[in-house]
Amino acid sequence: MPMYQVKPVCGGDIQIDLPTCMYKLPNIHAQQEHSCTSEHALQNGEVDPAVKALEARQDEIMRKLYELKAAVEGLAKTVTTPDADLDLTVSSSLSPQSSSSTAFKGTADLDTLLGKDLGALRDIVINANPEHPPLTLLVLHSLLCQRYRVLSTVHVHSSVTSVPPQLMSCLGPRHVDSYARHLFQLGFTLIWKNVPTLQMKFSIQNMCPIEGEANVARFLFKLLTPYPSDPAVATLVDSWVDTAFFQLAEGSTKERAAVLRSLNSALGRNPWLAGPEFSLADIACFCCVQCSGSASSAPANVQRWLKSCENLGHFSPAKLLLQ
Amino acid sequence: MTKEEVQGATEEEQQAQSKKALKKQQKEAEKAAKKAEKQAKLAAEQQSTEEDDFAKDRYGVSAMVQSQQKLDRVLVKVQDLTPDKADQLIWLRARVHTSRAKGKQCFLVLRQQQFNVQALVAVGDRASKQMVKFAANINKESIVDVEAVVRKVEQKIESCSQQDVELHMERIFVISQAEPRLPLQLEDAVRPDGEGEEEGRATVNQDTKLDNRVIDLRTTTSQAVFRLQSGVCQLFRDTLINKGFVEIQTPKIISAASEGGANVFTVSYFKTSAYLAQSPQLYKQMCICADFDKVFCVGPVFRAEDSNTHRHLTEFVGLDIEMAFNYHYHEVIDSITDTMVQIFKGLRDNFQTEIQTVNKQYPSEPFKFLEPTLRLEYTEGVAMLREAGVEMGDEDDLSTPNEKLLGRLVREKYDTDFYVLDKYPLAVRPFYTMPDPNNPKYSNSYDMFMRGEEILSGAQRIHDAQLLTERAQHHQIDLEKIKAYIDSFRYGAPPHGGGGIGLERVCMLYLGLHNVRQTSMFPRDPKRLTP
Repeated sequence: MPMYQVKPVCGGDIQIDLPTCMYKLPNIHAQQEHSCTSEHALQNGEVDPAVKALEARQDEIMRKLYELKAAVEGLAKTVTTPDADLDLTVSSSLSPQSSSSTAFKGTADLDTLLGKDLGALRDIVINANPEHPPLTLLVLHSLLCQRYRVLSTVHVHSSVTSVPPQLMSCLGPRHVDSYARHLFQLGFTLIWKNVPTLQMKFSIQNMCPIEGEANVARFLFKLLTPYPSDPAVATLVDSWVDTAFFQLAEGSTKERAAVLRSLNSALGRNPWLAGPEFSLADIACFCCVQCSGSASSAPANVQRWLKSCENLGHFSPAKLLLQ
Repeated sequence: MTKEEVQGATEEEQQAQSKKALKKQQKEAEKAAKKAEKQAKLAAEQQSTEEDDFAKDRYGVSAMVQSQQKLDRVLVKVQDLTPDKADQLIWLRARVHTSRAKGKQCFLVLRQQQFNVQALVAVGDRASKQMVKFAANINKESIVDVEAVVRKVEQKIESCSQQDVELHMERIFVISQAEPRLPLQLEDAVRPDGEGEEEGRATVNQDTKLDNRVIDLRTTTSQAVFRLQSGVCQLFRDTLINKGFVEIQTPKIISAASEGGANVFTVSYFKTSAYLAQSPQLYKQMCICADFDKVFCVGPVFRAEDSNTHRHLTEFVGLDIEMAFNYHYHEVIDSITDTMVQIFKGLRDNFQTEIQTVNKQYPSEPFKFLEPTLRLEYTEGVAMLREAGVEMGDEDDLSTPNEKLLGRLVREKYDTDFYVLDKYPLAVRPFYTMPDPNNPKYSNSYDMFMRGEEILSGAQRIHDAQLLTERAQHHQIDLEKIKAYIDSFRYGAPPHGGGGIGLERVCMLYLGLHNVRQTSMFPRDPKRLTP
């Protein structure tokens, strides 16, 4: 100890009756003992917890900066050498796990998919026009509910005057725990709103809104199971999804008939549209076939496929709305 | 001789003098003659005009109405002047909004509240030159009785609310004359902020408007604002009464400060002093304990806060709700938010013209809301703010800029101007707030926001005297002072919760106005006690 110690001039235990009308300050005389012990602690090589916390925070910031640097370098590489493939680590994180055809047991992890958990509900907001209920998304919602604890809420935006009751209950009955939002892993907020195209918002800061039912369906499907790693299969799935939304749902009768024919031939070769596994392609096409009302007039293979889709039991929410 | 001479001289002098005088007299006489001539001419003219003025009983300033007679005359409202009244002869009482003489014609714009119509009088077989002159010289804002024929017009009159008709005046009488100089011009008072500066035209500042509130309230904007405010009150009452609430009246002079000691007005009360109620909180809760189940009240509340901001008043109208619930305080949130949504819907559906009128002067985006109302938890709000780069602790209260930022973020994501933030940290709420059963850091309390500004702050209240005492001690509140409050829970109290909103603030935020003084009829703030 560099300096000698003096006994306290006055005892720290004197009780003084202080008025309560002013704010309180710790007694500076009584503090001596305490400061002694903290000095003592420091001498023993222990670090003040506040300093520790500060260090940890600095480390965290440095780590984030390094990550950012790596990410920027990776990007720079792809920019300067356009032919370079995506970073290996990125594609490996999406590596396929042979998931069984219908249960979606993939490795999808919400933290990697949606970003780090900030200790609050991750809420996916979907703005949909009540004139075109997004059947595909309702099906995906019920699949998500099987996999995660999902808090589903339906709202009506003030731009819409009234909404039929079945649209208000399209996400199923209220969860018994819905009063405690923090108990859920994922939020699914459906807002009936007067929008020209369907819109999805997730993170305002880091993500632009996703437009169109097909694209939102792709996003939600990735939360269930990774996309097929084989680019050819992935493209096939994508193209079926586009066909479903552009030609089945919005196309003319002629286009529709053509799509049904090609569905028929594809389903002749495989049990599901994109090969041996049930995929987003099946969900999208099923919903769009039902929506366009061409289910009854569909060719044999399509009929068989529609039956097996229904047997999966995923499509009940869509069926409810179609009735 | 000399006498004569003298006389002669004097005569001469006199003559000379008289010559001058004569000249003078002559001149004066001439002048007088001219004057007389002029006067005669004028008189003649007047006489002739009086004679000419065949329409003199068709206009004038009528005697002060002292209820001399009770006429059965039917007065038509300006807003009812539609093309199907065409070619009818009607009587009308209105204010002169503007008058403009143009040769032998005079155009008046007659105004009744926010409605106005064009009226004209032209020299012809029904109206004389004098009548037109009289009409042109009526001071603005005077009240007149007019008899006129309604005529359809071919071209729409863009400047008036009644665009399809105009009035051809037959008679016009001034009932109450306005002073020629107005402290502010109505056109200036409704001019949008930006426009005046660009075109070099006058705008009226807030203080002038408030000093001459009577005239300012005549503007279309003010008329619309206060009609809408009345609508808010009406919708609030109707919705709650439909839900089985009971309207109560609570005292405004109270013996002890309800929410802490600060911010109360002290008034002398005979030999002692009393306070003006900061909120009807205590009395609402006592009514719940007295088995009224669900109550609301509408009345003035007083805050002695010396803050001169756009959203603080020292006296405002509080719309307060308190209700007993069965199992979860979200029943209370649901009731309050549904009431708010019904108000917003009612305004959207029934007050569109008023909203448009206000928007002309103060443009704003239409108010957006969700049904059922969005409810976020405090931790989510904090997470959203952190994502946006705000550094704050878990248990910190929201600062005003953070509130606004959160409002923007929520609007961006959910596209709603109204939402509830639930589960505030216990540390930032008053002592009577019920703590969260699962996490002692949080509480069963909530704030509601409109366009990112807090309008309601509420909570489940502690209805157990024991716990209330503990919490009060924790907050170091003198138990003696709140003894009556604690005692009211000793004889069995149902679980209950509630909250209160400020009428002026709700109107301001619904319309997207920037100052709460615009939605308070006679605002009271630290610097204004009059009018």
